[in-house]
Amino acid sequence: MTAIAPDRARIRFCALGALYLLLAAPPVRSWLEATMSGHMLVQIPLLAAIGFAACRLLVAHHQERLLAIAGGPIPLVVVALFASSWWMLPRALDDALAHPLVEVAKFVSLPALVGVPLALAWRRLGIIGRGFVWTNFISMLAVLGWLYLAAPQRLCNSYLVDQQESAGWLMVKLALLLFAAWLGHLFVGGPPVGNPRAVHGP
Amino acid sequence: MATYTYEHTPDHGAKAGVLAYLATSAAVLLLMMVFGLLMRLEQAQWISIGADRFYELMTLHGAGMVGIAAIAGASVMWHFLRQYVDLSSRIFIANLVLFLAGVVMILGSVLIGHFHGAWTFLFPLPGKSMGMWSPGAAALFMGGLLVIGVGFLLLHLDIARAIVARYGNFARALGWPQLFGHDDGKAPPPTVVASAMVTIVNVIGLVVGASILTMMLVNLYVPGFDIDPLLAKGMIYFFGHIFINATIYMAVIAVYEILPRYTQRPWKSNKVFLASWTASTLMVMFIFPHHLLMDFAFPKWMLVMGHVIGYLNTVPILVVTGYGALMIVYRSGIRWDMASKLLFLSLFGWAAGAMPAFIDGTITVNYVMHNTLWVPGHFHTYLLLGMVTMVFGFMYYLGKPDHEADDRLLDRIAFWLFTSSVLGFTLSFLYSGKESVARRYAAHLPEWVPYDRIGAVFAMLVIASSLLFIVRFFSRIGLARHDYQRAPVARAATA
Repeated sequence: MTAIAPDRARIRFCALGALYLLLAAPPVRSWLEATMSGHMLVQIPLLAAIGFAACRLLVAHHQERLLAIAGGPIPLVVVALFASSWWMLPRALDDALAHPLVEVAKFVSLPALVGVPLALAWRRLGIIGRGFVWTNFISMLAVLGWLYLAAPQRLCNSYLVDQQESAGWLMVKLALLLFAAWLGHLFVGGPPVGNPRAVHGP
Repeated sequence: MATYTYEHTPDHGAKAGVLAYLATSAAVLLLMMVFGLLMRLEQAQWISIGADRFYELMTLHGAGMVGIAAIAGASVMWHFLRQYVDLSSRIFIANLVLFLAGVVMILGSVLIGHFHGAWTFLFPLPGKSMGMWSPGAAALFMGGLLVIGVGFLLLHLDIARAIVARYGNFARALGWPQLFGHDDGKAPPPTVVASAMVTIVNVIGLVVGASILTMMLVNLYVPGFDIDPLLAKGMIYFFGHIFINATIYMAVIAVYEILPRYTQRPWKSNKVFLASWTASTLMVMFIFPHHLLMDFAFPKWMLVMGHVIGYLNTVPILVVTGYGALMIVYRSGIRWDMASKLLFLSLFGWAAGAMPAFIDGTITVNYVMHNTLWVPGHFHTYLLLGMVTMVFGFMYYLGKPDHEADDRLLDRIAFWLFTSSVLGFTLSFLYSGKESVARRYAAHLPEWVPYDRIGAVFAMLVIASSLLFIVRFFSRIGLARHDYQRAPVARAATA
């Protein structure tokens, strides 16, 4: 885990705080929540990303301590999975728009229960765990987008069918792009090898 | 030009996990062969099990054979790949556990829930059973496939991790620096190239398969979430075709690793070899529409793509591997035994099995042949005389008592019995196809019964010879764990 200089970490933390406040500011909030795509695919991921990035700015031993308190990476991934699944439900979006308390819960839970747990667990998951989270997330995104497209009726009271369709298509396209990017990154980079034909041993 | 020399590599015994995979494969293979025989006997009118039971057996036979082909292929790949990269034994075992859990779910759905919508579970059939099975049975079947898919996804992610850790990235693992640049003779060995290819295509296929299975499970309980049947069919065939193709690409690693030990000649990862595997990495993902040529509603470009790529994909790996095997064996002074004979035979089975598909992939032929027994003739040749024969060769290799040990007479008889009976069995399918015998059971004319009877007799002989191979494997399973030289030294090497 590479340490970030305290000054630099403070600046980044302030930048994240500013982004968080910007997202919470009524004009930006209303603008993003005016469309289903803005709500689901911009505001919600950004809130989770802020939590993720903020957690990575913590001093390494604090991160390790939090990870130990939580019981390791698996419980944290489960928490992140459940919290993120909740905010994928159309009803949760309606509630957030209709009830200020739920809106506050969204602004708190997405960074704290999705971003932070994923950041704490990420390095410990290893490439298999991370690959599993990615492939699971991408399939979920594609399937959810497809469900939004195939739904026989409006799923959200707050958004019209055309919003639902637009969000569905964007989710499917985003899933395809993410998958291509994830697969593509396996083809580049990495350290040079010695003799690629050498036998590794038992 | 790069030069390749044979370097003797240690001959490791199999890990317990590999033997558990092979034992599971052997047991399920025999059971599924018996189910297949029952189907042939039913069509031969020597037994009467009824249409419902026939389709239940067909569903189990299809799902079971695809599953064990994947498990057996994975065992071959894992056994040899771990010579070059660090693989996780725990993930390998986790895959087998998930596979067995999935098998139990599938068995429950078919034998208890009477699901018989075929292993291809084509939408909307699982949800529209007309009272023949419950939504719960269909969900159990599709859930079982999902569980098996999760296991294989984990296995491939572990392989991806190990390959990236050793080779840096997949481009190097596929030998692209040597393929597109100067061939310095340092391309990864064939095992790594094949494993990288299989991992790429299977991860893509499994994600697509998981997506359509999840959507169909949603649709099963909330039919309002409608699915475009053509899209569903396309996705199922994309996943299914990649998955079953990958089984032979995993199993052929046995040929790449074992035949060089018998001939003391290297299997070269030269430009042609690398190009063939890279080409097939792409083509195997776009070939599936050759099964959909009768679906006039599919976009024309997809059907044209299926036709063209169906032709093209038959060539690269198969020809390169077949030619490579001939070159490696020619004047090598190889001392033939059960393992080397079976591995060599498997290449003939692969080549011969691909030809009916090549022919059927022609649109005008497809219109009259695709719904006949010609197609089962193709995949039984390809899988039984190709893929399964590679696995039998691998089993014999692991259990060979020592490099000088001679085969027993019974094994030698079983080899020729297996070869001739598989040919008889598959040719009975192909000839039935040529005679326009429909592969749909509901209308089976009396004129077709003689072909079924011939096929049933050959099927019994296939089972008898396979049983001997499997009994021999189990009787030598203790030897399979030990490290010692198994391959006899070729006469050319000793001269």
